[in-house]
Amino acid sequence: MKRILPFIIILAVLGLALGSAWYLTRSVPATPAVASQPAPPAPGTQPSPVQQASVNPGIPGAEPAHSQGTANAPVHLEEFGDFECPPCGLFHPVLKQMEEEFRGQVRVTFREFPLPTIHQHAMAAASAAEAAGLQGKFWEMHDLLYDRQNNWKTQFDVRPVFEGYAKEIGIDVERYKRDVNSDLVAQRIFNDGRRAHSLGVKGTPTVFMNGREVPFELLLPAEKLRATIQNEIQTAKR
Amino acid sequence: MRKIYVTAALLSLLGLADALYLTVEHLTGATVQCTILSGCSEVLSSRYAVVGGFPLAAIGAAAYFTVFSLATLAAFGYRAAGTLLTPLLSAMFVVSLWLIYLQAFVIRQFCQYCLFSAAITSALLLLVVIGRFVLKPASV
Repeated sequence: MKRILPFIIILAVLGLALGSAWYLTRSVPATPAVASQPAPPAPGTQPSPVQQASVNPGIPGAEPAHSQGTANAPVHLEEFGDFECPPCGLFHPVLKQMEEEFRGQVRVTFREFPLPTIHQHAMAAASAAEAAGLQGKFWEMHDLLYDRQNNWKTQFDVRPVFEGYAKEIGIDVERYKRDVNSDLVAQRIFNDGRRAHSLGVKGTPTVFMNGREVPFELLLPAEKLRATIQNEIQTAKR
Repeated sequence: MRKIYVTAALLSLLGLADALYLTVEHLTGATVQCTILSGCSEVLSSRYAVVGGFPLAAIGAAAYFTVFSLATLAAFGYRAAGTLLTPLLSAMFVVSLWLIYLQAFVIRQFCQYCLFSAAITSALLLLVVIGRFVLKPASV
């Protein structure tokens, strides 16, 4: 028995490793299925990870916040993002798609959470978006920054690139140049960052749905986020 | 000496779990969130994350599983298995050094999961070297 025991252990670990990997790769659609159970949970069911999360109102961020969608929508998604963060860039079209699919039912707010220690142009990009926001074109700049992330993130100097974007979205470039280095823009980014820290945000993208943090695994791909939003809408209807 | 191999087997399980997590992330197309302290997404989405069409993390998982198997066999008295551990872990250590170099000087971002793996590999090599060349005469 002692001669074969190590082989049994090795096979058990191999089985466990392959089984875990198989389960985790297969659980992509399974997670929202769990999330589709309404709260309060029926006997034998569990609330979704989002519904299990506690609501922490945090301290206010920059006001007015950058929001789009119906004001009294049943689902409010608040994203803390960094324009240079690759997963945020991947999440951007998914969120846009959800806004289209759930028009009238989803409201989206974007909060600045640049990570300058790992993304050299993150702060410049956040400032560009906020400066555009001062001329009422935040979302236009926001979309351009994400859509063209791969074009600018490797540039040495992004200022002329962002000024080009400012021109492209039709804002006053001279005013943009002044605003981008203004205290007001810096204060807005700081206020959003302060709110992020009060909510325990440590990475990007971090999304809160009706005040509760959505686990990162439920944000991508689109079908996961769709199921999570559908679940929240159903819960709100009850 | 047996304790050394048992410890090595347990340590390799940590490395296996780490590599498996990254493999699953790679296979499901998921990305790793950018965090304040690391550049995981940059490292794991770089061209160095795939070798010959295989995710590097999967190759790492296979390597850790091999280490686990050899350490387990060695703990049960299969001496040949213990002998194979040193060259295997040396190769893994060299690869870890190369990956740290890539993170530090080429990608210029660090991934905590990759650093954790490098730490595990280093600890494993140290453990086995101590076991084989320091404790060997007294306890084998």
